[in-house]
Amino acid sequence: MDLFGGTISSLEKGLSYATLKNKAITQNIANVDTPNYKTKEVSFKDVLNDAKQATIPAYRTDARHFDFKINIGSSGVYSNENFRSRANGNAVNMDAEQAKLAENTIYYNALIDRVSSKFSTLNNVVKGGR
Amino acid sequence: MSIFHSMNTTASALTTQRLRMDVISSNIANVDTTRAKQVNGEWEPYRKKSVTLKEQEGQFSNFLNMAIGKTKKNGVGNGVKVSSIKEDTETPFKLMYDPSHPDANAEGYVQMSNVDVLKEMVDLISASRSYEANITAFNANKNMLTKALEIGKG
Repeated sequence: MDLFGGTISSLEKGLSYATLKNKAITQNIANVDTPNYKTKEVSFKDVLNDAKQATIPAYRTDARHFDFKINIGSSGVYSNENFRSRANGNAVNMDAEQAKLAENTIYYNALIDRVSSKFSTLNNVVKGGR
Repeated sequence: MSIFHSMNTTASALTTQRLRMDVISSNIANVDTTRAKQVNGEWEPYRKKSVTLKEQEGQFSNFLNMAIGKTKKNGVGNGVKVSSIKEDTETPFKLMYDPSHPDANAEGYVQMSNVDVLKEMVDLISASRSYEANITAFNANKNMLTKALEIGKG
């Protein structure tokens, strides 16, 4: 039986989603004064799909060959092209971005909390409850 | 993909906003400058300078991912950069009547710089608010990273 189960890898996917989302929000806040900048958003669905099939199918000469594993890059990021809120074509809504930033930080902290608690549970098991 | 990617993004924004504030300070400082540059042997007053910003498109991996079809749009990007500092050649110089001024023309008018202090102040406040917003983003990011270091300690 697998000692670590699927929990930690699920949490890991959540963390990498939160990291990517943090990047997008940071980028939006950084470009608040850039003319014609369009807000970037992260789609959870795309990131999840990516995490599920994060391999490139390789050309196999033997059925036992592995596929290439790829890192989760910045896929699932898309720009809101049709939205503009100001005269210079910039679409960054600072209030919304700050709210998203706070929300994302709390989400990230919650996941970290879960990972830590999972490890301490396992630690407890390994020590036999002593 | 570095964990400090977001911090670099914020840092680029902080640098940019600080540069904007520097340029605005220079504009305000030179509001009364009548001899900034010599053009054809004549002194020309100071021209208002403004900063134009551009999104930094990101590094090689973004474009690679786009090329192999992994990403639809180009990725998150790398922050913001200054594309140019331009002089305002559209707004005319202000004319002030002062025949005793050494730079006065035959009719007694002096050409003054085309800086509008009110506009500069508005821009200054806007730049400093943007700076603060980026500081908030930086702190949030720092807290997240610090928290990540706590994995497995509890």
